[in-house]
Amino acid sequence: MEDIVGGWWDKLVKRAAYRGHAAAAVRLEQVAPLAPVFFRAMGGDPALALRSTVGTEHGARRRWLERLSGTGERVELAWSDQQAFYLPEKIELFADAALNRELYFWLMALAASNRPDGDWLNANRQAAAACLAAMPGLAASYQRLVAAHLPQRPDPARLPPAEAAWERAIRQALLQPQQALDTPPPVRAPYPLPLWLHPAPPTLEHTAPSTAQDPQQSGPRSKPQQRQRRRYRAQRVVQDERKNGMLMIFRAESLFTWDEYVKVNRHTDEDDDDNVAAAAEDMNRLSLAQDAHTKGGKLKFDLDLPAAAWDDTPLGPGLLLPEWNWKQQRLVDDHCRLQPMLPRDAVPAALPERLLPLARRLRRQFQALAPERTRKSGQECGPDIDIDRVIRFLAERHSGVAQSEPGLYQAWPPGERSLACLTLADLSLSTESWVGDEAGRVIDVIRDSLLLFAEALSAAGDSFGLYGFSSIRRQEVRFQVLKDFAERYDDSTRGRILAIRPGYYTRMGAAIRQSSRILLQQPAARRLLLIISDGKPNDLDHYEGRHGIEDTRQAILEARRDGLLPFCLTVDREAGDYLPHLFGHRGYVVVQQAQMLPSVLTRLYAHLTA
Amino acid sequence: MNAPLRPELSAPFYQPQGDECQLFEAAWQQQLPVLIKGPTGCGKTRFVAHMAARLGLPLITVSCHDDLSAADLVGRHLIGDGQTVWCDGPLTRAVRQGGICYLDEVVEARKDTTVVLHPLTDDRRILPIERTGEVLVAPPGFMLVVSYNPGYQHVLKTLKPSTRQRFVAMSFDFPSAEVEQQVVMQESGLAAAQAQQLVTLAGQLRRLSGYDLDESVSTRLLVYAAKLMASGMRPALACRTALAEPLSDEPDTVAALLAIIHTQFPA
Repeated sequence: MEDIVGGWWDKLVKRAAYRGHAAAAVRLEQVAPLAPVFFRAMGGDPALALRSTVGTEHGARRRWLERLSGTGERVELAWSDQQAFYLPEKIELFADAALNRELYFWLMALAASNRPDGDWLNANRQAAAACLAAMPGLAASYQRLVAAHLPQRPDPARLPPAEAAWERAIRQALLQPQQALDTPPPVRAPYPLPLWLHPAPPTLEHTAPSTAQDPQQSGPRSKPQQRQRRRYRAQRVVQDERKNGMLMIFRAESLFTWDEYVKVNRHTDEDDDDNVAAAAEDMNRLSLAQDAHTKGGKLKFDLDLPAAAWDDTPLGPGLLLPEWNWKQQRLVDDHCRLQPMLPRDAVPAALPERLLPLARRLRRQFQALAPERTRKSGQECGPDIDIDRVIRFLAERHSGVAQSEPGLYQAWPPGERSLACLTLADLSLSTESWVGDEAGRVIDVIRDSLLLFAEALSAAGDSFGLYGFSSIRRQEVRFQVLKDFAERYDDSTRGRILAIRPGYYTRMGAAIRQSSRILLQQPAARRLLLIISDGKPNDLDHYEGRHGIEDTRQAILEARRDGLLPFCLTVDREAGDYLPHLFGHRGYVVVQQAQMLPSVLTRLYAHLTA
Repeated sequence: MNAPLRPELSAPFYQPQGDECQLFEAAWQQQLPVLIKGPTGCGKTRFVAHMAARLGLPLITVSCHDDLSAADLVGRHLIGDGQTVWCDGPLTRAVRQGGICYLDEVVEARKDTTVVLHPLTDDRRILPIERTGEVLVAPPGFMLVVSYNPGYQHVLKTLKPSTRQRFVAMSFDFPSAEVEQQVVMQESGLAAAQAQQLVTLAGQLRRLSGYDLDESVSTRLLVYAAKLMASGMRPALACRTALAEPLSDEPDTVAALLAIIHTQFPA
């Protein structure tokens, strides 16, 4: 009974204290499609993404009803930082939905022109003044916003003098942002100002990536995230290594709130907490620590023998492939076992946001490659007269040798670009090497290249397949199926490309042979075999050095003999030593800077297929 | 197309952004072919028309397309009266008359087509006509000008390096805000204050090119918008018609463009 009455009371008092206009609320989703475009046009940094903000405590005086109901202590304010610009999840400040919507646009314009120097009051005032001077249309909507917001602010006459000074300064800055003013002496936080940016944005305290290895994931997949874009206020903490959990390190009378970081001498909770998501919503600050272990136990990751539970998903029992023995100058049958597999942990994913502009450009460029029409002369019928043939026909008729009327027309049958392209990427452990701060590791560059290349090829309409390979001795050549020829290029294939990881060695010959087999099954006039590599072929069992090179060369010769066009792209600068031997001097390109790989790859494709 | 533009008494309006007029004149005097590159609607064609009028030369414009053959440029035999008649193409006509032959969007033409330009663009300045066996020598008044838009050229459509290397090249871009405002006012008769707002708006919209828009708003579109505004149309509506709708087909992007337009011209 008490519970029920308490619930009623809570509802009642919350409703009484509530000051929003729920009926006129405008949600972020409604403006989200327009927001990035608008933000960029206002001069905002194009690299910033849109996120929704969480409420932060404003610390200002609340009305007694709010204090009674325990509401109104948080407010969602907009701000921007190095990563994103943050807008409230919904705005219900005014009774007029149009005004709430205008407020979103005003906040974006303000965030775009805000230069974070000077104090909060003057920085916002100057940014507002700059916006108003440059944009007369926005100025009109600003006037409406200020006129509607001023009555909502506390009356300075009823505030203590220090707070009243602040309130008056804010009011003046709102009404006349062009006029400079002095910052009043500091005071407890002034009443929150939803027309301005956040006074103290809750930024991440330590953003430097930790040096330790990421903890290995395990257990069930994380719960589907409801609000992926929501920004939680987070801090990175150093994991407390102390083992003396029982020592009282705090004064007993100070109570912990549940969002303070306490190291409990226990790595992870055994049971799943159902409402973690709800708790995260209410927490002021999420603490993130690097934990060396995760639930599910520790697993020794052996380079030679991956444990089955950790390994990529094998497809079928594996295929036996021959290998070239250069000492005997013969092909040894069934020498290697090739295992097609799917990358583990691949979840359907969209193209990463940072690649979007480039992908858009590539798509546009490659759409032009889509089947072209070519003129065919000497047709029986067609839209154009074939003048040359008519002239010849007339001349022949004059001289009396003309036979029956030949094809005198030109036609434009739709041409077909019969082309299949198989891309084979080297995923050996050497691709883990670092190429630069911007680009990251070689594998990252390869991943980006594959993604962009696939975008371009799907725009061009050519059929293509994407595969990756690595190997552990001849018994296990790991052949990752990223996109089969028959598959559509969609989010699930993108997810597989995103899930590639470096590992093991480079037994190139077997992978090329398998790729050739796949490619030969494609019904296309021209079949291109693109190999992306970062170094020489090598493996544990005598595959390094001459043996590997000769076997690879043999596999490429076989591919050529079957009418395929093998081509190699490499980021290995010493590739000039051995690649001419493998691919011929016109059959490869050395990409000097790995970062250039995506653009080189697409340009090259256009050249090879033109 | 292909019609010679007789020099008018007053040259078409062109607001120089730098010393491009002097450059062009010098190239003409030295008998050098000129390549002009720049985004859509930044004034390339107007510039050539202006210079042709200034130099008192006839102007023959050819808009290139991917179906343009060498015969379309040089000329072809036609059938008439039981016999064939040779008919000059625009390029041959310009060489015979002496004048500016302007190939607009030359990258659109097939690569083998542009090769017929080669003998005209070096010191020989000749045009051999294979089909008639004639070799035309260009008179001093002949000048070859080509233009293209590097923005939307795609991987296959670039000039062959051997063709590029035969031209002196000038790069055009949208004019600075002050110059653009002058252009807009001159072309449309719009008042200074509104022209300035329009140019500021263009600056905002141009930040989007490469991200949300394939190509940015051109000076030509600004002039269109200004003309509509000068005719008494509501500014927001004029900008919607002349700027937002031509720039994008995606409803979200158009809506965003409208929101940007409303920062200058309230609905």
